[in-house]
Amino acid sequence: MGNESQQSCRPAAAPAAAVAAQARFPRIVAAAQFVAPLLFLLLLWELVVRAFGVSPRIFPDVEAVARAGWETIQDGTLVRHIGASLGRVAVGTVLAIAISIPLGVAMGLSPVVSSFLTPLFRFFSVLAGIAWIPIATLWFGYGFGAITFVIFNAVFFVVAYNTLLGVARIPMPLRQAAAALGAGGWSMLTQVILPGALPNIVTGVRTGLGFAWRGLIAAEMIATNVGLGYMLFLARDFYRTEVIVFGMIVIGILWLLIDRLLLAPLERATIERWGLVDRA
Amino acid sequence: MKSLTLRNVSKTYFDPYAGAHVTAVSDASLAVGQGEFVSIVGPSGCGKTTILNMIAGFIPVSSGEILLNDQPVKGPGPERGVVFQSFALFPWKTVLENVGFGPKMRGLPKAECDKIAREYLALAGLADAAERYPNELSGGMQQRVGVVRALANNPEVLLMDEPFASVDAQTRMTLQEELTRIWQERRPTIIFITHDVSEAVFLADRVIVLSKGRVLKELAVPLPRPRVWDRLIEDSAFKALSGQVLQLVRSA
Ligand SMILES: Nc1ncnc2c1ncn2[C@@H]1O[C@H](COP(=O)(O)OP(=O)(O)OP(=O)(O)O)[C@@H](O)[C@H]1O
Ligand SMILES: [Mg+2]
Repeated sequence: MGNESQQSCRPAAAPAAAVAAQARFPRIVAAAQFVAPLLFLLLLWELVVRAFGVSPRIFPDVEAVARAGWETIQDGTLVRHIGASLGRVAVGTVLAIAISIPLGVAMGLSPVVSSFLTPLFRFFSVLAGIAWIPIATLWFGYGFGAITFVIFNAVFFVVAYNTLLGVARIPMPLRQAAAALGAGGWSMLTQVILPGALPNIVTGVRTGLGFAWRGLIAAEMIATNVGLGYMLFLARDFYRTEVIVFGMIVIGILWLLIDRLLLAPLERATIERWGLVDRA
Repeated sequence: MKSLTLRNVSKTYFDPYAGAHVTAVSDASLAVGQGEFVSIVGPSGCGKTTILNMIAGFIPVSSGEILLNDQPVKGPGPERGVVFQSFALFPWKTVLENVGFGPKMRGLPKAECDKIAREYLALAGLADAAERYPNELSGGMQQRVGVVRALANNPEVLLMDEPFASVDAQTRMTLQEELTRIWQERRPTIIFITHDVSEAVFLADRVIVLSKGRVLKELAVPLPRPRVWDRLIEDSAFKALSGQVLQLVRSA
């Protein structure tokens, strides 16, 4: 957890030509670098399915998936499933963040409390998400409550733990400097503690949302009758592999959108500018 | 008369690794007059930072007392500005916001804080860096910001813990000259910690040599001001004093 858990998907080194091109059309090149491997995968998929004559029951071809996708879009089921899934994620995440950040800060401020609770939070961070599904259905029954609880759990412990870590790691001289400049309790919190812990908080939210997204899909397969996970599971009962694969693609794309459009820009706008993150 | 007084101050730490108490400062007494520039030198581990942290109010004394204008020091306060060896600039604030932080904590309106900050930045030749973040500055620039951030709060006492130790020799000399210039203009009381003997003599009215947590010797530095390196580096009085302090530190 913490800083170590920041995942980097950037290539270690790029050929000189690519670097030069990147300098000229940064956005286009970045988009191409992102899309090209996906197109390659699509091509490979179609080739393999055709070459080996794979049965649609095992794995569909590209066209079947596209058609199934178009159907779910037209009849509105896709929107309904996505809406349900995103709603649960939003509620669970917002609740978890609203509670875990103040709690993490409070714990991080006291070395005794934080060293006592750190192992516990690490323990629950590992369990975050999927492992809670069975007990959540016992507590909340099937539906919104259980699934939101699973998401809440996935985000809560990871964010609380990272916040605690972030607060505890603020260099002592920064707090001393603020105190010597006249900062009292509230200013210390808003001007030093929260911004100082922000890199870890953002990491926590990013990691926690990743857990939550996986947990969501798993929970929806078991505990509900609407949502992307349910859509996959239902399709399985009718051997509709093309719907399953389409759903998987939607799940992946949605996550990429959330991560790229919501979380990454937040990170760039703040902590990278401050030089608090190594741009790996 | 306003002044800073240390009366029989001692500090013992508990060292959890050795499982024993270590005495970092023992029975140190010191009186610093208002507007005086005092350097404290001594070998590594002799208790310099500990003394400074007690004056700043970051750590409590184990025994004895520290008085500022006859009031005992309890905790940090804006009348005692601190410049850190590690700069300790807020990475999430621009240079302007860093320097304006003290005035902001005093409750001044933003425009006023900015005005004060710009004035002090100009004083240190940093006017162009106002909108930048600390990580975009060189070490020497960061330390200048650290110094003017403390100054902008108009402290009565300025506490500096080896502030120039991590910049190159040329920059250090410039910073030392700038510091004496600013000090002559504003006249805060300065306590400057260093283990660089010539730095201590160059800057101060008085050099205090510390040894194993005790005050070994105090030496007045009657060199004329303004002090500039071009002149002092060959000055016989400067060399004699530096030699004397060096002897003391080495014997410490
Ligand atoms: N928090 C602490 N806990 C235990 N021992 C400490 C602590 N801080 C300092 N000491 C000990 O107190 C003594 C004085 O330390 P101090 O940091 O004041 O020395 P210094 O003169 O500033 O040294 P340097 O020039 O290396 O910075 C040292 O022996 C150090 O190991
Ligand atoms: Mg020290």
